[in-house]
Amino acid sequence: MAKTYDYLFKLLLIGDSGVGKTSILFRFSEDAFNISFISTIGIDFKIRTIDLDGKKVKLQIWDTAGQERFRTITTAYYRGSMGIMLVYDVTNEKSFENIKNWIRNIEENASADVEKMILGNKCDLDAKRQVSKERGEQLAVEYQIKFVETSAKDSLNVEFAFYTLARDIKAKMEKKQEASNPPGGRSGVQLKANEQNRKPTSWLARCSVL
Amino acid sequence: MNFQSKANKYVCPNDRQLSLRAKLRTGWSAARSEPPLTTSEREAIAAVVKRAEKLEEVEAKRVGRLVARLEGMRRSAQGPAPRSCLLCGETARLLSPLRTCSICRHTACSKCVIETFPYRKMTNGRPPLYSREAYMCNLCAETREMWKKSGAWFFKSLPKYILPQRRATGRYNDTELARSLQDAGNSSNDGKTDSEPGSPLSIHAPTFSRQPSNTDSRKSITSPHETHYEWSETDILSHGFSGLSLHRADSLTQRPLTNLKRTGSKGSAYSLRSIRKEIPKPVDQIERPPMIPDAGFGTLEIRLAYENSTSSLAVTVLRARGLIGMDMTGLADPFCRLEVLPREGAYSNRLRTKTVHKTKNPEFNETLHFFGITESDLAVKSLEIVLFDDDRYGCDEMGSATVSLRECTKSPTQLRLALLGSSGAEPTGPRILLALCYSTKRRALVVNVCKGADLPPQDSNGYSDPFVKLHLDPDPYHKKHKTSIKWRNLNPVWNEEFLFETRPTELSRQNLTLTVWDKDYGKPNDFLGSLVLGASSKGRRLKHWMDCIKFPDHRHEQWHSLTDTQHL
Ligand SMILES: Nc1nc2c(ncn2[C@@H]2O[C@H](COP(=O)(O)OP(=O)(O)OP(=O)(O)O)[C@@H](O)[C@H]2O)c(=O)[nH]1
Ligand SMILES: [Mg+2]
Ligand SMILES: [Zn+2]
Ligand SMILES: [Zn+2]
Repeated sequence: MAKTYDYLFKLLLIGDSGVGKTSILFRFSEDAFNISFISTIGIDFKIRTIDLDGKKVKLQIWDTAGQERFRTITTAYYRGSMGIMLVYDVTNEKSFENIKNWIRNIEENASADVEKMILGNKCDLDAKRQVSKERGEQLAVEYQIKFVETSAKDSLNVEFAFYTLARDIKAKMEKKQEASNPPGGRSGVQLKANEQNRKPTSWLARCSVL
Repeated sequence: MNFQSKANKYVCPNDRQLSLRAKLRTGWSAARSEPPLTTSEREAIAAVVKRAEKLEEVEAKRVGRLVARLEGMRRSAQGPAPRSCLLCGETARLLSPLRTCSICRHTACSKCVIETFPYRKMTNGRPPLYSREAYMCNLCAETREMWKKSGAWFFKSLPKYILPQRRATGRYNDTELARSLQDAGNSSNDGKTDSEPGSPLSIHAPTFSRQPSNTDSRKSITSPHETHYEWSETDILSHGFSGLSLHRADSLTQRPLTNLKRTGSKGSAYSLRSIRKEIPKPVDQIERPPMIPDAGFGTLEIRLAYENSTSSLAVTVLRARGLIGMDMTGLADPFCRLEVLPREGAYSNRLRTKTVHKTKNPEFNETLHFFGITESDLAVKSLEIVLFDDDRYGCDEMGSATVSLRECTKSPTQLRLALLGSSGAEPTGPRILLALCYSTKRRALVVNVCKGADLPPQDSNGYSDPFVKLHLDPDPYHKKHKTSIKWRNLNPVWNEEFLFETRPTELSRQNLTLTVWDKDYGKPNDFLGSLVLGASSKGRRLKHWMDCIKFPDHRHEQWHSLTDTQHL
């Protein structure tokens, strides 16, 4: 009977080491924060099921190590990802500059249909800020990717970011479905719908049969 | 802010440099300086991979269920035929014309299609001026749903799946099905998959199944079999039933409690699961008194007709008599589930009748067809009919009967079968052990939440942290209780007692609701299952409740299945 879900979305977090990928995921999955830095070994993942328009969406979120020595392992997980979070640290200029490289990495390794989002993390540390919000926005516009500043510590925009990415994936799914069969159907078509709103037969439809 | 000083520590290489590096497999994105991993690192990664594999298996099974469901639908579909419904086989009539599915281009009746709205043409939020309704048959709609739900929309092929059961023999193998599904989800699909030889939909509609299902259409031609029916009645009595978990609820009937809010039972979940035909009542049929000695669970009348030209078996479930009562009023909402045994493939070819509400003597008058039954099958196979009580909170078995298909080798036969009690006394799957006791001394219902078993894992560690919430409804005292949390435990033992002040007379109007939760910090708790015992419950749950009222100051302990619906 195990509680079942409607969709399984696989997400991925990438970005330089120390930007706060694990912290963001920890905030999202456990709603907690750890001040100490334990660099991720290779890969890890967490699960959280969310509700999107009445559908249960199970998110399997892969957390990757930012350290370069794990790059071979981590890139292997790009392919299966439906959504990727690109994370930089607003107090670390270099991590921001590297976003371009991470995007390139996505282009080389991920599916072309992957949804992306850029997160400028640690926005609570205003005194140490090196990258302005405007620069983040500018980069996002340049690549046509959604952008938001987050704080895993203060739980700012973390939920929003994951929900937005999941929503974008779901929207893409509905759109794809629409495009695959030309005459098209309404998104989220339910079989039950037929029972409830059986419309009176249109004259035209009747004609085509008789 | 001093980002200037730090900024020049890193110089971003220009695009040309980067693309060159990528091609040469050197530089930033290439595995250029990766020292070998340590043993502990390898182990850590292996552990994560293993955890992921577990999850993948769960997912593969879920996708497998989606696949199986769709295949079941395809199998029970009538197949394309001119001027008739692809799914149920209904023919075109004036008031309910057939629709053409915009995807597979087959025709289907209004019950077997859904309307779709091509929203692409929508301009400025207004629907297009000349919008023609488009229709999609339920088979195509379900295929779409399955395409989305399985993730195939993203991976562009059906992901790995594990079917509910491994099939030993089967007419359609998995890869074939997977391919046909893929085609159905692709734009290239023009419906050809449905008519390919060997595909489930290629079954040609047998003549007898092509008659209107509507009873008021008197012009319907009677089935050819009806003319040569031999009303050879064979009463098959079988004794020695096992399991007395269900008793005739006569004691309940004696005290008809009126004005009870009964649980609304949902009708048949899915219209496609069975092919229903209302059969015209033969004139020579006389109501037979239920005279046969049954085993206390009532009798069932069926008619079997085998058609070798179409390799199909038509089972007409006529009626049942003297069924056990399931609800407070001593009535039930029975339906029959039919299955030909032994199974050949992975999935059972199960069919079900409609539910007949609030009765112990239901008139089903419904014909269900099993396809692909060969003449040699008749000698070795049997038909199992299980009666269930339709209930929101679970399905209680009311009785069952098995009949050898040999009965209908030569000619159609009508049989009256004695129903046997359900053998599956103890529930399996996620369940909870409860002890109820009405204490006359304390003037309270004492509920002991003993233990749970096989609870579903909700946390990434493969466990749940379960606790139970319980309340009585209606309860003038509005008492709400909670057990302790059993950490990392799918078979928790609580043994915790809770008191609800009430009177026995009140109890027969109250319901005890239990919900089991997985404790999660910082986010909503995960729902694990629920159970409703009481006046508006049915079957074993009602029995437990009534036993507790009838025999106060006694501990009544019983296992109950948890349902996954959170009906609160
Ligand atoms: N102030 C503040 N600190 C944060 C925030 N997010 C993460 N940190 C801290 O930054 C450090 C690194 O965080 P991690 O989440 O482990 O970094 P990572 O991106 O997973 O690093 P790798 O696993 O090596 O790739 C930790 O000490 C965190 O406590 C934040 O939003 N605000
Ligand atoms: Mg990390
Ligand atoms: Zn139909
Ligand atoms: Zn169709």
